[in-house]
Formats: sequence, C-alpha cells, structure tokens
Amino acid sequence: MTPRQSNRRLVPAYLATGGRARPSRNTLDRLTVLYGATVTAPAELRPEALRLLELLRPGALTLAETASHLRLPVSVVKVLVADLVDAGHLHARSPIPEAEQIDRQILERVLDGLRTLKS
Amino acid sequence: MTSIPATLLWCLAAGTAAAVVMIFFLVRGRQRSQALRRHLATAEARASAAERGHTEIAAQLRSTEAEIRHLAEARLPDLATSLAHPHVSVRGLNDPRFTGTDVDQALTAAMDQLSQAVIKERTRVDEAAQAAMRGATTTIQALLYRLQTLLQEMQHRYDDQAVAQDLLQADFLNEQALRRVQTTGVVCGAWPGLTRDDSHLADLVVGAMSRLRGYERVQVSNLLRDPVGVVARAVEPVAVALTELLANALHHSHHELPVAVTLQQGNRGASVIVDDYGIGMHADEIEHAMRLLGSGERVLLTELGDPPRSGFAAVGQLVRQYGFTVHVESSPYGGVRAVVYIPGDPLLTLMDEDTQPMSVMAPLPPQMMRAHSTPLAPPQAAPLTAPAAGATPAPAAEHLSARAPEVPMERTPTRTPDRAPEAEPTRTPELQASRTPDSMPARTPEHEPASAPESATDPTTGLPRRRRRRPTAEPEPALPRTEPVAERSPEESANRWAALQRGTLSGRAEADHRIPRLEGNDRA
Repeated sequence: MTPRQSNRRLVPAYLATGGRARPSRNTLDRLTVLYGATVTAPAELRPEALRLLELLRPGALTLAETASHLRLPVSVVKVLVADLVDAGHLHARSPIPEAEQIDRQILERVLDGLRTLKS
Repeated sequence: MTSIPATLLWCLAAGTAAAVVMIFFLVRGRQRSQALRRHLATAEARASAAERGHTEIAAQLRSTEAEIRHLAEARLPDLATSLAHPHVSVRGLNDPRFTGTDVDQALTAAMDQLSQAVIKERTRVDEAAQAAMRGATTTIQALLYRLQTLLQEMQHRYDDQAVAQDLLQADFLNEQALRRVQTTGVVCGAWPGLTRDDSHLADLVVGAMSRLRGYERVQVSNLLRDPVGVVARAVEPVAVALTELLANALHHSHHELPVAVTLQQGNRGASVIVDDYGIGMHADEIEHAMRLLGSGERVLLTELGDPPRSGFAAVGQLVRQYGFTVHVESSPYGGVRAVVYIPGDPLLTLMDEDTQPMSVMAPLPPQMMRAHSTPLAPPQAAPLTAPAAGATPAPAAEHLSARAPEVPMERTPTRTPDRAPEAEPTRTPELQASRTPDSMPARTPEHEPASAPESATDPTTGLPRRRRRRPTAEPEPALPRTEPVAERSPEESANRWAALQRGTLSGRAEADHRIPRLEGNDRA
C-alpha cells in the first residue's frame, strides 16, 4: 500500500564526527583489528561511539567490518576509532602480515658471513 | 316737446346701458387683474421656491463633490493602506448627513468593489509568484538530491583523508542548501519533495538537526519507551518542521548555549520538545507564530517580510496538511519552547529493530542504554541486533502492564485505521476514544497530562523529572494592555513620537544651556 520509497539516508555521515575526516593517528587502515578496552562504556560518550563500543563488545572486528555494521564511510569510522583509541576505550592492532617465503639471497649472504667469521 | 324726454330717455337708456357695459367690463377687468395678481404671486412664490431649491441643490452638489473628493483623497488611500496593514483604520464619511443615503451606499459600494479587486489581484499576483518559486525549487531540490546521492557514494568510495574531509564538507553544504530550498518550496505550497520509509523518531530528530549550521549545540535526549517510528508519509514533513524549529532555536540563542531536544512518549502520541536558552519571543511574536501555526488561512509571500521569514509559515503549511501539531510558548528558562506533538493514531508506528535498526548517531532511550551496558553472555551474538531483538517483546509487555494499563500504540491498530474501518473492535478503548473529536489535542491542556505522569515517575532514570509547562502568569496581564495600542492610527503615533522628540530636544537644549552655568556657579 505504501508507495515504493527511496532508501535515501536520513542521517548524514558527517554528523558522526562533526564533519572531521582526519583521524588523530594515521596508523589505521581498513584491516586494522579493533577490540574493546573497557567492559562498560562510559555513558557520557556520544551515541555513535557508544554504538561502536557496543558492537565490539562480543569480540574483535576489522575496521572495514565495523564501518559496514555501523553503515558509515570508512573514513568517518577511522576518526571515531582514533578518538576512542586516544581516550583509551579501544585497542587497535595492525593486521598480521601474511607469511612469506624467506629470501634465499639473504640467507646465503648470512651463511657466507658466518663462514668468513669462522675461518 | 315730447322729443326731448324721448331723446333724454334714449340718452339715459344708452348711458345706462353704456354704464352697465362699462361696469361689466370694469368688473371683468378687475377680476382679471386680480387673477393676474394672484397668478403673479404664485409665480413669484414658485420662482423663489425654485431659486431656493436651486441653491439647495447647488449646496448639495457641492457637499456631494466634497464627499467624492474626500473619498478620492482620504478614504480610498486609507482603504488601500488598510488592506496591506490591517491595523490602519479607514475614515468614514466627511459629512455625517449623508449617512444612509444613496450617496453613502454608492460610495460604500465603490469602496467594496475596489477592495475586492485589490484583494483578488493581490492573491493572483502572489499565486503567480508562488507558482514560479515552486517550479524553481522543485527542480533545484531534485538536483540537490542527486548531488547528495553522488556525494554519499563518493564518501564510501574514497578513503583518503583530504578527499573525505572535503566530501563531508560538501555534503553538509548541500544539506543546508537543500533545507533552504525545501522550506521555500513548502511555503509556496509545494510538497516536501521526498517520500521516505517509516523511520525512527530519534533518527528523524537527528536528521533534522544535521541540516543546520551549529548542529553540535543540539543535545538530544531520547525518553521513548518503545521504538516509536513515524509513518512514511509524515517523515519528511515532520523532519522539515523540526528543522525549522531547531533553526529558530539555534539562530536566536548564543553560539555557546545548548539547545535541548527531548523525545517524550505519551499515551496517545509522541512529542518532541525543543528548548532554547536564547533571547525568547515577545507575546505578540508568539501570538503571530501561533496564528501561522494554527489557522487555516493561506500565507501570502508579501506577508513574510524582507528577508522572508519562512520558518513558521512553512511549519504552518505542514501542520495543516499532515495533522501533527506544533505549539510555541516562552519557556521557563527564558527562551522559547516549541513542542511538536505527533498523534499516535494516524502518524506513528512501532519500528522493528531487526529490519530497520536505528541510525548509530541517534541517541538510545535510557532503558536500552542500560541493557547495552550490561555485559552480554553469549560472546558471538549478532552484535547489532541482539540486545534490541531480545529485549523488545518481553520488557515492552512488562512496561505496558506495570505502568500504563492503556496500551498507547499497538502495531496493528496504528496501521489499519485509514484502510480498514471494520478493524475497529480489535482496538483498545483508548484508541477508540482517541477517534473522538478531542483526539486532536488542543495544544497544551490535552497532552500535558499525557506526558506529565510518565515523566514524573520515569523509573529508568531514577530521578523525578519535573517540568513546568506553563510560564508564570506574567504575560497574562500584559495582553489587555496591547489592545488600545493596536487601535492607534499611524498619524496619531507619528504625532505622539514627534511630540516626544520635540520635548526631548527642547529639554536637551535647556540642559545644554544650563550646564555651563551650573559649572560656573560651582566654580564661583
């Protein structure tokens, strides 16, 4: 009965950070793993920060996943996360790099060096 | 000898006959002269009467001319002015002797026709202007919505700090432009230009504040017990109305003062209360605003002033068209309090938190915050939906049975009434009562008791919340005083002010003369 509505957003993203898109730290990227640092979130935080901490209470999520759950752009979530990390409510960990084959040349040079030391 | 008497006799006879004839003629002549004299007298009388009549008519003509001149020089200009400024009074007849005569009727008819013509022409011109504005704003609004979509997509696409910053700024500017265009369009009779989904009331408030400069000063507190939403067709109108009220609050208060917005749920509907701590409104300003918000009269663009103050006019249009109410009063904090009351029966619905979660920027109601702050037992519960979904049915039932025996809003009845009148019996008595004429609350007295007990015993905050809905009785005695002032004519006001100015000037001149002498005395 209701006409087909547009799913146009009602609340714009800039409201979450007051228009800021520059995080206070630039170590965050889409794969940064976030996990909460406090059990109960202090109630004086802004709603979006509370919801972010609430989202992370069951376990860790990457920043991109968090942004998708909150339905906010990644750039905005970065600012939120940076603020929360600064305030100590949140921990951020860089993603663990993939395991790689060890460079054979370096090993050979180390071996050469050891041999010269020995002789 | 006999001949002489005979002759004499004859002579006598002839003389007698002549005398008789003479007498006859004499009498006749006298009669005629008398008749002539009478005739002359009547003719003279008639002539003098005619002359008198003539002078009378001349006098009447002169006074009629004067009356017509008075009409042209005084009454018609008065009428023209009074049509634009209703407080100007129109002067009456110059000569009171004309009252009720044909002249009076003719002149009054002329004035009536003139005023009708002026009013008709004014309405026509205003409608033309409104149509032109409407056409322009509709197009611009559609373009701005496309720009909004584009900016939103770009925000999700680009992570770079500098780009994201600019995109957020552009989005905000676009949002402000959109608001201006939309309000102007609404004043000119356009619809709000957008149909949305059913939306959470809290989302709506936050969305409304995001359209304004200085939105960071707005503090929203959500005291809704249930996930109250606004039905699709009323979302954008309520948002526009709230935006305008918030804009007023932000604009008329210092840029460091907060604007407090409270969401309250009553028995029959929900209210959004906007409190500012600013300069407030005078009694006549509030009266004017309430007139715009309450009456069914159409608004003319020429009445909005320059620059046009379109806020209350736009809200008034929306209130008329969509059936929510707005009340403005001076707040006990000294500023202005605006209350938007959305009746539950046609305009509210309950939202499903699973399918349509609230925006993260909207503040949660206190009991949900409390639910969130308790640690969750299952570690991998679906994070966004778990607390709300698990908590909704049972605690809601508890609330309703424990606190309010009357169910304020149920999902099925609120959506059905327009379409299915046979669903009436399923409705609770309160909802049926709300169909009675008093369901449209007559401003304060109706919904005051609805929200007062709830706010007084709100167990979720633990604190008794007390608020005064009415200002103290100070404005009441001020009201009668304004009336004689309103009747004063412009000329009279000008005279009074001129007299005041003359008095002040002469007083100052006197003082200027006196001061050196006083100083001289002091020195001496």
